[in-house]
Amino acid sequence: MRPVRMILFCIVVLGILLLALFAGPRMVNPFALTAMDREILYSIRMPRVVVAMLMGMALGASGAILQGVLRNPLADPYILGISSGASLCAALGLLSGFYFFGSLSVPLTAFIGAALVSVLVGAFGWKRGGLWPERLLLAGIGLNFLFSAVLMLLMSVSSDEGLRRAVLWMFGDLSMADWSLIPSAAIFIVIGMGLVLSRSKALNAMILGDEFAHSLGFAVQRERLILFVAMALMTSASVSLGGTIGFIGLLMPHIVRFLLGADSHLLVPASAVAGGAFLCFADLVGRSLMPPMELPSGTVTAVFGAPYFLYLLRRKDVLSI
Amino acid sequence: MSSVFNGPILEMANISFNYPGSGRIVHDLSCSVHEREIIGLLGANGSGKSTILKIAAGMLRPSQGEVILWNKPLKSYRNRDRAKLLCYFPQHLDVHVPFTVREIVGMGLYPYEIPPVMTVDDAMAMVGVADKADAFVTNLSGGERRRVFLAMTLIQGAGILLLDEPLANLDIKYQVEFLKLLRSLKEARGLSVVMALHDINLALQFEKVMLIKSGEVHDIGAPEAVLTGSALKEAFDADIEVKRSENGNAYIVHDRF
Repeated sequence: MRPVRMILFCIVVLGILLLALFAGPRMVNPFALTAMDREILYSIRMPRVVVAMLMGMALGASGAILQGVLRNPLADPYILGISSGASLCAALGLLSGFYFFGSLSVPLTAFIGAALVSVLVGAFGWKRGGLWPERLLLAGIGLNFLFSAVLMLLMSVSSDEGLRRAVLWMFGDLSMADWSLIPSAAIFIVIGMGLVLSRSKALNAMILGDEFAHSLGFAVQRERLILFVAMALMTSASVSLGGTIGFIGLLMPHIVRFLLGADSHLLVPASAVAGGAFLCFADLVGRSLMPPMELPSGTVTAVFGAPYFLYLLRRKDVLSI
Repeated sequence: MSSVFNGPILEMANISFNYPGSGRIVHDLSCSVHEREIIGLLGANGSGKSTILKIAAGMLRPSQGEVILWNKPLKSYRNRDRAKLLCYFPQHLDVHVPFTVREIVGMGLYPYEIPPVMTVDDAMAMVGVADKADAFVTNLSGGERRRVFLAMTLIQGAGILLLDEPLANLDIKYQVEFLKLLRSLKEARGLSVVMALHDINLALQFEKVMLIKSGEVHDIGAPEAVLTGSALKEAFDADIEVKRSENGNAYIVHDRF
């Protein structure tokens, strides 16, 4: 059963990637490429698909990490305010002219934001020696409001270009995707993914609870820190590529668990691939629905993600873990 | 190692512990566990049973005193090496992720680079969940789930099991089966067990019990010597009488309610 599902999963992902490359307001025939088609493919579609793939991968894997480490099926970097914290910090960096690390400056400042907010959300969610799902959630929602408001305020007192980027970062948009963004973010994603893939056993054990993880020979605090760093690296890379996109981190691990199982050895990479494909699909829908206008990809992912989030909230066991 | 060693394999020496902001939970506690010993840990709610087990497992650091495992301080072990010798089984087994039974049991092999002799199938067969190997653990009953985690604990191969109320939520059939299994493993593999439990009648059938009162060892030894009416009254603050049936089994009688 599982191998069949695996093959189907790969076929669907591949199909979406091909569609994202060749379909859209202007269809491109891969077997009869004109000079114009080549230009569209190499300069617009390919960087866009690569950016969407990288962002989605980072968010899908981040969601799988957060849901495992926090033992909370509602956890996602967007819902917990980590993405908007990363956005705000990156925006602050840009506005203050922080380019000390060149192209790495944006992901680096976003990473600082993601790490700070992770600590802040954890502190709000912590009570009587444990993390409480509803407290985490409310802290995330509160911080989300706060960061979005501050980001908006910052951008409205800055230049027009600043305002444009604020909107981009708040709703997530891939229309600015180009090759130059990719290398620095890819470094963060590769490091984050490497860290989490080397920690699959620890992540599995932590899903069973800290006590089992300790008993199975893991240094729980250290493993949690490493996994949070991996999540913050990937979330900040995603934000630096195309802003705040929600619900991918929430949805993908649930879909993959249903299709391929819960073992983190497969769950994390498969959630990443599924996240990449889903964002490519959302971007394709966003740019094909009402051409020449483009819907931000974040709104498309929210159309799918928000109802599922509400459905999860209705499930009795979700807030009682 | 085990055949030439006659001393305690796990020792807690003058342990004190308190959670931040609260009074002392454990006070100057000393006790030891020998090979092939099954010890029942009894005490009222909040007497410190779980805390004592967590300190013994290295999960909580005592403010005073030391835990010694196989003649070496517990904290000097690498996490993975400790996991091969000592295993802790928590009270609450709340898993909300649909792992299969096989996946959960297989996690018991995580401390090993080279898996030990026992296979996942052996461990599942031992606790009677082999027919549910591919079932999701989230779909199992409380008793079945407990047995799945016990299989994981067994495959981990540690010689000392610290079990925090493993009989909770099990019906009497599985409670007795569980205890029989532990006893057979004690004989077959030289297992030592420290188990917190609430059922005094079951504890009366143990070879050794430790009665805890307010974080201190009230008494330790054979149940007939430790679990007397007066000791139980003192530890539990309840009127309890210990009687003996015609076949010699001890049992308790408490006030009518």
